[in-house]
Amino acid sequence: MPDYLLKNACVIDPVNHISQEIMDIAIVDGRIAEEPSKNSEVIDCGGMLVLPGGIDSHTHICGTKVNFGRYMSPEDMRAGRAPRGRGMRAVSGYSIPTTYGNSYRYAQMGYTTLTEGAMAPLEARHTHEEFRHTPLQDGLILTLFDGDWGVMRAIGAGDIKRAAALIAWRLNAVKGYGVKVTNPLGAEMWSWGKNVECIRKPIPFFDISPAEFITGVIEANEMLGLPHSVHLHCNNLGKPGNYTCTLGTMGLVKDLNEKRQTAYLTHVQFHSYGGSGWGDFCSKAEPVSRMVNLRPQITIDMGQVMFGRTTTMTADGPMEFNLYRLHQDKWSNHDVELETASGVIPVMYRRKNLVNSIMWAIGLELALLVENPWQCLLTTDNPNGAPFVKYPEIIGLLMSREYRDKEFATIHAGTAKRVVLPSLDREMTFDEIAVMTRAGQARALGLLERGKGHLGVGAEADIAVYPIRPDKIDPAKQYAEVIRGFGQTRYTFKGGVMISRDDEILAGSQNRMFWCSPKVPKAYDMDNDPELIRTFERFYSIQKENYPVDENYYIARSMKIETETKL
Amino acid sequence: MRRITLIMRDSIDPHLPIEAEVITPETLSKTVLVNVYVGNQKMMLSEVFDIRVDGEAAGPAATEIVIIGDASRVKRVGEYMTDGRIVVEGSIGMHCGDFMTGGTIEIMGDAGDWLGREMLGGKIICHGNAGNYCGSGYRGGRKGVRGGEIFVKGDVGDYCGECLFGGVVHVMGSAGLHAGVNMKGGKLIIEGNAVMPCGDMFAGECTIFGHVDDFMPTFAEVGKVVENGRELTVFTGDLAHRNGKGTLRVGSYTRI
Repeated sequence: MPDYLLKNACVIDPVNHISQEIMDIAIVDGRIAEEPSKNSEVIDCGGMLVLPGGIDSHTHICGTKVNFGRYMSPEDMRAGRAPRGRGMRAVSGYSIPTTYGNSYRYAQMGYTTLTEGAMAPLEARHTHEEFRHTPLQDGLILTLFDGDWGVMRAIGAGDIKRAAALIAWRLNAVKGYGVKVTNPLGAEMWSWGKNVECIRKPIPFFDISPAEFITGVIEANEMLGLPHSVHLHCNNLGKPGNYTCTLGTMGLVKDLNEKRQTAYLTHVQFHSYGGSGWGDFCSKAEPVSRMVNLRPQITIDMGQVMFGRTTTMTADGPMEFNLYRLHQDKWSNHDVELETASGVIPVMYRRKNLVNSIMWAIGLELALLVENPWQCLLTTDNPNGAPFVKYPEIIGLLMSREYRDKEFATIHAGTAKRVVLPSLDREMTFDEIAVMTRAGQARALGLLERGKGHLGVGAEADIAVYPIRPDKIDPAKQYAEVIRGFGQTRYTFKGGVMISRDDEILAGSQNRMFWCSPKVPKAYDMDNDPELIRTFERFYSIQKENYPVDENYYIARSMKIETETKL
Repeated sequence: MRRITLIMRDSIDPHLPIEAEVITPETLSKTVLVNVYVGNQKMMLSEVFDIRVDGEAAGPAATEIVIIGDASRVKRVGEYMTDGRIVVEGSIGMHCGDFMTGGTIEIMGDAGDWLGREMLGGKIICHGNAGNYCGSGYRGGRKGVRGGEIFVKGDVGDYCGECLFGGVVHVMGSAGLHAGVNMKGGKLIIEGNAVMPCGDMFAGECTIFGHVDDFMPTFAEVGKVVENGRELTVFTGDLAHRNGKGTLRVGSYTRI
């Protein structure tokens, strides 16, 4: 592996309090070093913006639902086609590209770590197989626990330790990184063709309310000492008036961890809706972001919607059914045996549609109203809000009021009365963008300790060099250059390997899979738990022995993280 | 006027498909030194066909391409064609005339599947039969043929005129299953019979002079007309769709 010396880099590294400093960065043996080695290859960065490698804390790029999106949208495969060449395989697809397409596009945008936001445990093998073929990024997989019967029963019985033990067993079995809870208990209700209303009403058969479930899972998560907090997709996604439910959920979160947030609320844009129906639908980004500002234990991501064609996919089955009834287009729905549910539908967000225009505005409002950028991360919930290739445009919108106003003039005229976006003056700096796309994401995911999200000595050399001269341009005016610059790096390094240069891909097979294995005491080892065995025998279509993902067979390079637990 | 005659060589393995999107007046009016794929092998056009060129090139409009021999494995002939004329003396393979916007393709024999899919203009005349998806859209696409004219003297396979959006598809023989399914405009004329036509029709006009078997119960009868000396029953639909405004006229029918 060659060593590198990046000269004259304009570095932004929020973790180490470096802000637009011209300096040299030495890469030795895949890590950032104090001094360059003797035979380092020197690269002149000529004042270009140098950031730690991008991290996406919530995206959907692997697994059965993504693949089902591909099946059902052959028209999406016709877009984004590129022939083999410049180090790349032939790829196709726009909102749900092939795994290689995802990997190349992310690499060219400077991203080196991706978090698959939702994996049904029963379908873990497929997810790992797809990650194996996403060659240029490290992977983290969040595992769904929203309809897990064992965890629901344990929390219902007040036995948080048992819930934690079950979570630990399952994370270990499916090689998951963290706990994802989607529309808590909604999947179970969806099995009966229903949904939960909000967080307070207990569901039948289990006699547990979403609120109890959420607090129980958060407690169990902290008990297991997992690097990431509970990754929470609140109830009532996409329903007018759901912001009250979101605020109520935020109110449940206690401050339990000093290193990071206690709950990560994902795609909050979809959860900040006011009004009582689509007729008086409006933005409630203000109360939601005020709540975030008051509660440092919460981190959110935007879930920004951008106009155009995309595909929505979520474990929130009932929500997708409602969306299907709205659009009358294609719909796929899936119930995963006592674990979770899912739905996939293609959508088109239109500028001329009032609801879509308001949705677009809400995401931006959240980012601009949350004062601390460490608490609001930049995502589109790819591909639900928009494909990730729209990130540079979102950065442009956040950095330039002029660009926002220009875009605002092109959307539905009725939007202005329902949102506060036109009154927001904030224009983000490069430093804040670096937090929202890297440092903040690394902290939220618990990856700072693993040398990601910063450029301090000893950190993994995940580096993105963007052809932007921060000292020469004013992003508020020259937003077009910002968008172009963030769209394609000059160089992207992953673990010290140059994976892309301009539009060329230079490496393959750099991917590693991070997963967590909490060290539970023998008494809480669920492997021989009679109830778990009985659950598999009675209700599952496969046996417990067939369930775990084989580390050697399914994972390209395994990064096991053992955590100390408080069980 | 420039005439390019392509005579299929016998030496080519008859089991391998040939990808020949270069066979259009635009390309061949300039040069015949172009590549085609035979299976996974890149070959010169002259290795696959004996080429004879008569006359001077004066742009695609004054160019005629004549294909002689069994070209039923030659795919994508006349794709994106804008002008000029292609004559196929025998049969032609799949995807002939995809996306074409102008000019004429005349096929003396049979045509393969996807004849003139997503066509925008121009004219295709097929003297034999055409395969499945004649004058249709492509997988997952919402707009099929948007303009132009496809005329088939024989029969067509399944899904003829699927997602038809504009233009005319005229079949003198019979159609297979699901002709005119998802139609959103244009005109589909079938002089023979059809089975289960026009499901999920949005708009457009479909006329089937022969017998129609087993079509959707979501079409409402609105009256009768006489056309070309035949009495036709007129239906509107597909009412399963929210705004079904299509017109389906059939000679005779059986419904289950």
